[in-house]
Amino acid sequence: MGWEFSLLATILVPIIGAFTLPLIGLASKPGRNAWAVILGLATTFFAVTLLPAAFSGETHVFQRAIGLGVDATFVVDGLSVFMAIASALISTLIIIYSLGYIKDYHYQQEYFLMVVLFLGAMMGLVFSANLILMYVFWEITGICSWRLIGFFRDKEVVIKADKAFLVTAGGAVFMLLGFALVYAKTGTFNMLDMRGFPIGGLAVALITMGIFAKSATLPFHTWLPDAGVAPTPVTALLHAAVLVKIGVYAFARIFNYTFVIPGDWQTYLMILGLISAMVSASAALIETNIKRILALSTVSQIGYIFMGLAAFNTIGVAGALLFILMHGLAKGGLFLAAGVIEHGTGTKDITKMGGLIKAMPVTAVAFIMCVFSIVGVPPFGGFFSKFMVIQGIIKSNHIAIGALAIFTALLTLVYLMRLFTLVFLGEARDTSIHAHKEGTPTMVWVVASLAVLSLAAGILVKYPMDLANIAVRDVLGNPAIHDILGVLR
Amino acid sequence: MNPNILLIPILVPIIAGVLTFILPKSVKWGKEILALIATAITMYYAAVIFKAGGEGLRLFVPWTSFGINFDLWAYHFPKFILLAAAGFEILLALYTASFMDGKERSKEYFAYFLLTAGLANGAILSNNFVLMLFFWESLLATLYGMISIGNKEAFKTATKALVISGIADFAMILGIIFAWHLSGTLTMSEIHLEPMGLGAAAFVLMGLGAMAKAGAMPFHTWIPDAAIDAPLPFMAYLPAALEKLLGIYMLGRISLEMFTIHMNSSMSIFLMAIGAITIVLAVMMALVQKDYKKLLSFHAISQVGYMILGIGTGVPAGIVGGLFHMLNHAMYKCTLFLTGGAVEKQAGTTELKKLGGLFKLMPITGVAFWVAAFAISGVPPFNGFFSKELVFHGAVETGKMIFPIAAWIGAIFTFASFLKLGHATYFGQQSSEMPNKAPKDPGLAMTIPMLVIALGCILFGVYSKLPLKYLIQPVLEGRAILEGHAGHMEFWVFHLNWIVWVSMACLVIAWLIHQYGVKKGQGQAYLASEPIHNLPVMHTLYDWAEARAFDIYEWFVNGLLKGAAWTVFKVVDRGIDAVYERLIVFVGGVATGVLKEYHNGLYANYLAWVVGGFALLVIYLAVLVK
Repeated sequence: MGWEFSLLATILVPIIGAFTLPLIGLASKPGRNAWAVILGLATTFFAVTLLPAAFSGETHVFQRAIGLGVDATFVVDGLSVFMAIASALISTLIIIYSLGYIKDYHYQQEYFLMVVLFLGAMMGLVFSANLILMYVFWEITGICSWRLIGFFRDKEVVIKADKAFLVTAGGAVFMLLGFALVYAKTGTFNMLDMRGFPIGGLAVALITMGIFAKSATLPFHTWLPDAGVAPTPVTALLHAAVLVKIGVYAFARIFNYTFVIPGDWQTYLMILGLISAMVSASAALIETNIKRILALSTVSQIGYIFMGLAAFNTIGVAGALLFILMHGLAKGGLFLAAGVIEHGTGTKDITKMGGLIKAMPVTAVAFIMCVFSIVGVPPFGGFFSKFMVIQGIIKSNHIAIGALAIFTALLTLVYLMRLFTLVFLGEARDTSIHAHKEGTPTMVWVVASLAVLSLAAGILVKYPMDLANIAVRDVLGNPAIHDILGVLR
Repeated sequence: MNPNILLIPILVPIIAGVLTFILPKSVKWGKEILALIATAITMYYAAVIFKAGGEGLRLFVPWTSFGINFDLWAYHFPKFILLAAAGFEILLALYTASFMDGKERSKEYFAYFLLTAGLANGAILSNNFVLMLFFWESLLATLYGMISIGNKEAFKTATKALVISGIADFAMILGIIFAWHLSGTLTMSEIHLEPMGLGAAAFVLMGLGAMAKAGAMPFHTWIPDAAIDAPLPFMAYLPAALEKLLGIYMLGRISLEMFTIHMNSSMSIFLMAIGAITIVLAVMMALVQKDYKKLLSFHAISQVGYMILGIGTGVPAGIVGGLFHMLNHAMYKCTLFLTGGAVEKQAGTTELKKLGGLFKLMPITGVAFWVAAFAISGVPPFNGFFSKELVFHGAVETGKMIFPIAAWIGAIFTFASFLKLGHATYFGQQSSEMPNKAPKDPGLAMTIPMLVIALGCILFGVYSKLPLKYLIQPVLEGRAILEGHAGHMEFWVFHLNWIVWVSMACLVIAWLIHQYGVKKGQGQAYLASEPIHNLPVMHTLYDWAEARAFDIYEWFVNGLLKGAAWTVFKVVDRGIDAVYERLIVFVGGVATGVLKEYHNGLYANYLAWVVGGFALLVIYLAVLVK
């Protein structure tokens, strides 16, 4: 199987497959559910088959004219394959989980269509080597997430969905302006042709607005906690695995891989990441809604990823890429566990819960394992990524930012332990809440496997690290870039 | 010798721990046997590793990139700590088997116990910072698990312990990253830095992490809470023994190998100050406690002060004393907690008010207690006397007399509080409130560990030359710290000088304080500390301390951190959201409202727009485009 076939299959199988789902659903619901899982698994499989191409050390480029003077340019390298595998793996687990979660609700047809289409758009986005192509996939994911957040049709829910869409799409408009600025200078949208090109502060600022809006980073973050009105698999998909990582990926692809950005902007971006991490961690310490806390925690952790990427050195970028995977696994686990809790208790208010460990022992243990991974406690995977990100920050001589990043890790420990303690330990504070049992076996199984994967990713850190290293080599491997960076610093 | 045997003390307990987790409940004695076998194997291989000569064993396997290697190195210092840790692990496995028998969640306790043993051994042997942190910080998870097994409220203490230890561990991580940034390597044995600038920050942060693990102030406040809430063997295992070994060992590596702390340098003063403050404040708290376990827990904090003070002197005598004190403390404090467990199990309470007269009923426990109590108080010829004298000598040698004076004040009140504890528990009249009327010594599984360690306290005292010469002193050999001290390396030679006489005077003062207190308390020994408790200023301070005014967790985490977070949440987070929810909605509403006014459906209105636009276009073409 050639890499070109694998590439097209990775992108097209979920996109085309998504539109077949409602048709199959008309005939048989179980058939549709199975088909959705198969599509997820197939996407993951095809993404994995791209590994040899990624490890080969060459950049594989797929280029075809698709009319209107636009080329479909896709790039297969360590970075895109890393992101594709990480997102497809977590998305597939979430699809499996949602079979149990979603089965009692309306609009399932639309749900499965949107989830799988989202996955396909995500695959298209990570392989895109053309700014316009990237933008198109970017907006498809936005539309999918808009429908998914508005899954329950209450007025308030629809408003929150609109908010999410307007903020992210609004940011994307500024990003498009930034792309236009770049085009005015270079005359091309092809990122491969623009590698090593220095861009100005204004273009960086505009593109950053799009990235931060998508990644829910301060000051564009408040749509994410509000998106918690969505069904849990969606929040998990949006937060943990995929949607917010789109911005992160775009950052790596655009700022680390393609362009050279002004030296002081590297510091600004790092500071913005830090502020985002600290503010949202503080907010998470005060909120009482379990999904809002987890969403704010996501905002906070994304801040670390940006800090790592903004370090612009090998260890920081490697840590940030590793962070994407580790955070995806652990935060996915936390959100899905929150879904089990919400399903069992009928509330999201943690001040009413308590003592749930007795009713839900497996979920509780999985939850604390994921908490430890997010905080950065070994032997869980999150330890390595956080450690390396802070190494990267210090290595770029931002000592104070590094110290505050450690302080934020402490805040993370405090708010996540508060969450765990209030939900699972002690006695129930509101006696009207009765949770006698775990979620469905599929749900619990997925939650537990995400927790175990978090542990395995720590103990066997060599394997994800190798993959991240390939990606880093591709991201920073352009010798021309190093020369330019050397001049700029 | 094959260096792979270094893996045995790490992997065997960890595997046994995982097996214990999945062991079915129906297997009788399964967890106990598993724990004893695993710790016995560990003990045997720790001894084998200790005997390996030369540069010691080194296992180096590349783990992953960025200088993160699976690098274990057993040279003298870690070998000796490993041996000590393994000794405590096996004795405590035996004790715990009896103590936890029939208790709820005892299987889980054993699993954490074994995991802790393996992880601690790993942290001791690691020679790569990331590997060390991997083991060291994993202990957070098992610490949390072990404490949470205690009583109903234990989870709160567990969270507190986790957060406080987390603060310290994060400080250590930052220090390690600074050290890595300066030296460019994560291999611990290759790091040699000067404590200046960023190096000083690295030293302070790493030192704080190590000292906090040992229980120094201000990272100590979870220990007295754990004494009440956590299962007792936990106290003997971690705060008394293993955490002291780990913390002081790491402090030793940092201040002897990675940095060199010179006498009276600012780093030396920093360490000595933390040591002195910890000694005095914690012993004052210990003095007024009226619970067996809680009193011991404050001494577990206070005694760390001597170790840190000793290492901080930067003088060979002080360093040797600090390390020897670490070993001695682990022994006598472990014994003391084990006697506390025996009293709790047999008499049914640890409140001093409800105890008394137990020496006749529980003679073995009583003997073990008094041996350990004399050892901790520095009564000759028990082991604590010799290590404390070395610390006093080191502190005097620095010339900063405030430090030896603080150490002596600590000695006075240590002895006074143990006279109170011993008197109230083992002598006097048996209290009528004692839940079990006829307590007797517990079974062999509990008495053997007590007696073995108590015997060690005597042997390490009478034959203090052996541990000093073969365990402690080799740690210093070849180190820069010995320069200029070549002639004074025989620390086991006892000098009867004025320092010893001052120490003896301290014991006498303590005795007098106790007698006075008992007299004031109408013969009730547990009230012996009340005269000091009720001194004018002291009383207020004690009240504040009881109200947790000095508890870092209360004022920093629950107060400052939550307050700051609340402000940030209300002002920044909600403020930004208000921009979206209110401002943008408002501006958008006004803008559409204004535009709506002009779309009133009148033909004339639209015609005027068109004409006006056309006029503008003409002007533009006529004036600007030429």
